[in-house]
Amino acid sequence: MDDKIIEFATLLRENGLRVSLAENMDGFHAVELIGLGDRIAFKDALRATIIKRAIDASTFDELFDLYFSGLGEMVKGSASSLMGAMQLDDAAFQRLLDSLAQILNDLDAELSELAQALLNNNTGQLEKMLRNAAAAAQLQNIQRSFQEGRYAHNMAQTLGLGGLAQELDALKQQLGEADIDPQLREQLQRFIDRRLQDLTDMIKRAVRMELEKRDHSVRENQRLQSLAEKSFYYLSEEEIRRMKEAVAKLAQRLKNVVSIRRRKAKRGKFDLQDTLRKNLQYGGVPFKIQFDRRVRDKPQVMVLCDVSDSVRNVSRFMLQFVYSLQDLYSRVRSFIFVSEVGEITQLFEEQEINEAIEQSLTGGIINVFAHSDFGRAFRNFHRDYIAAVNNKTTVIILGDARNNYNLPHEWVLKEMRQRAKQLIWLNPENRLTWGFGDSEMDRYVPYCDIVEECRNLNQLYRVIDRLVR
Amino acid sequence: MPSTDGRFASIEDVIARFGQQKYICSRRIATVVYLANHLEKPILVEGPAGVGKTELAKVLASSLGHELIRLQCYEGLDEAKALYEWEYAKQLLYTQILKDKISEVLGGAQTLTEAVDRIAMEDDVFFSDRFILPRPLLQAISAEQPIVLLIDEIDKSDTEFEAFLLEVLSDFQVSVPELGTLRARHIPLVVLTSNNAREMSDALKRRCLHLYIDFPPASQELEIVRLKVPGISETLAQEVVNVVQRIRQVDLKKTPSISETLDWAKALTLLNADRLDEQMVNDTLNTVLKYEGDIRKAQDELKDYLQKQKAKLQGPAGVESDKDLLH
Repeated sequence: MDDKIIEFATLLRENGLRVSLAENMDGFHAVELIGLGDRIAFKDALRATIIKRAIDASTFDELFDLYFSGLGEMVKGSASSLMGAMQLDDAAFQRLLDSLAQILNDLDAELSELAQALLNNNTGQLEKMLRNAAAAAQLQNIQRSFQEGRYAHNMAQTLGLGGLAQELDALKQQLGEADIDPQLREQLQRFIDRRLQDLTDMIKRAVRMELEKRDHSVRENQRLQSLAEKSFYYLSEEEIRRMKEAVAKLAQRLKNVVSIRRRKAKRGKFDLQDTLRKNLQYGGVPFKIQFDRRVRDKPQVMVLCDVSDSVRNVSRFMLQFVYSLQDLYSRVRSFIFVSEVGEITQLFEEQEINEAIEQSLTGGIINVFAHSDFGRAFRNFHRDYIAAVNNKTTVIILGDARNNYNLPHEWVLKEMRQRAKQLIWLNPENRLTWGFGDSEMDRYVPYCDIVEECRNLNQLYRVIDRLVR
Repeated sequence: MPSTDGRFASIEDVIARFGQQKYICSRRIATVVYLANHLEKPILVEGPAGVGKTELAKVLASSLGHELIRLQCYEGLDEAKALYEWEYAKQLLYTQILKDKISEVLGGAQTLTEAVDRIAMEDDVFFSDRFILPRPLLQAISAEQPIVLLIDEIDKSDTEFEAFLLEVLSDFQVSVPELGTLRARHIPLVVLTSNNAREMSDALKRRCLHLYIDFPPASQELEIVRLKVPGISETLAQEVVNVVQRIRQVDLKKTPSISETLDWAKALTLLNADRLDEQMVNDTLNTVLKYEGDIRKAQDELKDYLQKQKAKLQGPAGVESDKDLLH
């Protein structure tokens, strides 16, 4: 059993779960204690010892079923489908098996182990033989589907399928000559033919199952990884949903990092007054030293998001990110623009994040179907909100600066820069294309403290991380 | 009946004994508890708030007849508050009171060095068990009897503390520089709970058995309600559980937990309700849901359900709507 657990753990690792040696050992001890009699308890024991994250549980469940019962279930399933094909119920099938055993006994037929297991429908034995054959054929090395045929062939050879076919042919011959009821004889011969066919099927299915095990969540993992590098431009609905989760997770991670950073930065200079006060209870003997607590400025953030068609996805994740991290900032104000500016801060206070984002992106606040006009949007911003920008504010502008050849009005940025603590521009376009066509990026860049390309999740994370430092 | 050697005989034994403590647990929970008990490993319990993680530890302690020592984690929790602290004030007080005795000891000393040497010979007195203030972890390790140690909301603590905990959890020993290494007499049964505010380190997870408790299925929740709210009528219990299970499907800020189901059931029995109607639900929904927005959403969701229930009650006309309900 230990071997099987080790192999199972390897399988889990191949599917991207972390299983350490210590956990493996725990698995052994647990199984020793629980025993193998109770399947559910066995599964729970393995789960508790080997799986340590709730999200891994579903992968574990699937692989457990595939690994520990896949083959057995298949062997049993093959017998029951045979019953169905021969139009026999349980009892009749059992009678057939019994009479066959009786006849074999009478005929004194010498059958190989495999033939016996097959004809007696000894599922346990069959499963074991299939497993051994799989191990001998090194089935665990299978990687691609085009290899299926080769591995199936190897397994058949190890099992001795050729010999078995001859053996069963001979048996059929013997049955033909024996003195039995012709109807039964015909049924038995059909049964033998079917069983041989079943075995070839079983081999094929075993190979297919092995391939599924390897394949299962390797692809899943690759997809998640590539998601972080995938450009926001080309996201499907499904990917947007997954991306939302990824953003939420990243935001949580960032929160943790920041809280540690803050804590480390907490200790300042020696504080004489506080030390004296704290140590009065010890008669003025300074047992406990007190330090200044450095108060860190929480940044104030103003986000201006372009929500025209081309950059809507980036804006979505940007907003989600900023609002997931709200408590790291003292104040967040957010605006969206296409050719006019609208404030959506209020919306976020009243609604749940995702809903607020959906509402602001679908045209509840401003006309999102207009042509981008950065210049006009900036002028409007200057008219209505410039007073809110002060020396504690970090202004983040998110947009591709594709201005449809309108006036750029870069003087607004100049003034914003003078008032604000810093001005950051995130552009979801590739850096190489900035300044070409109707892109006004070159005009805006000189007034920004930081200009970053922000095309995928990793880049977005890096930018936000810099923000809260 | 507490066992003599502090071990569960089997998984069924766990379920039975927890049942006596009025804690209904699934087989999975029982399996993990049984394993932890026999393998002497800590259990890391994760899951949403209010599914009975902390309760599990309490019940575990009482069903084994052990004492429960609880360490509540929070941000900034450090060794001094978790393990031990020297009682400076007491030490100072003693030195003050014993001033005369000390000068007596120092009486014949000729030089400063000699005086310091003499004091040094006595310093064991001041760093002994007498002046140590044991905090939960040290209490757990030095306990005479086997105990259950509950480390609650470990995710609220800092990563440094988590690292420190590793030593305690793997060897069940701590070193106090002045006293030497203290080793546990009995390996305590440790339960760590986490709300998943942050991911725990792999090193900690490796040392623990992992248990994820989710909201129970309707049948189990019904059993819990019947057990914990004795006076409740069967129909009401059923309806409360149905409604709560339904609410959990809605996308809410805070999904109602088991304890909130129980609160609601208790509130309804107190109001002498024997079945749910819309008025009653609207008046008491605030025991289950804690946000205005959530309550509004749930009311919308439940309106249909309650009307159909009502129609069903009103006799033959209700047959059709009964069908609708099945969809």
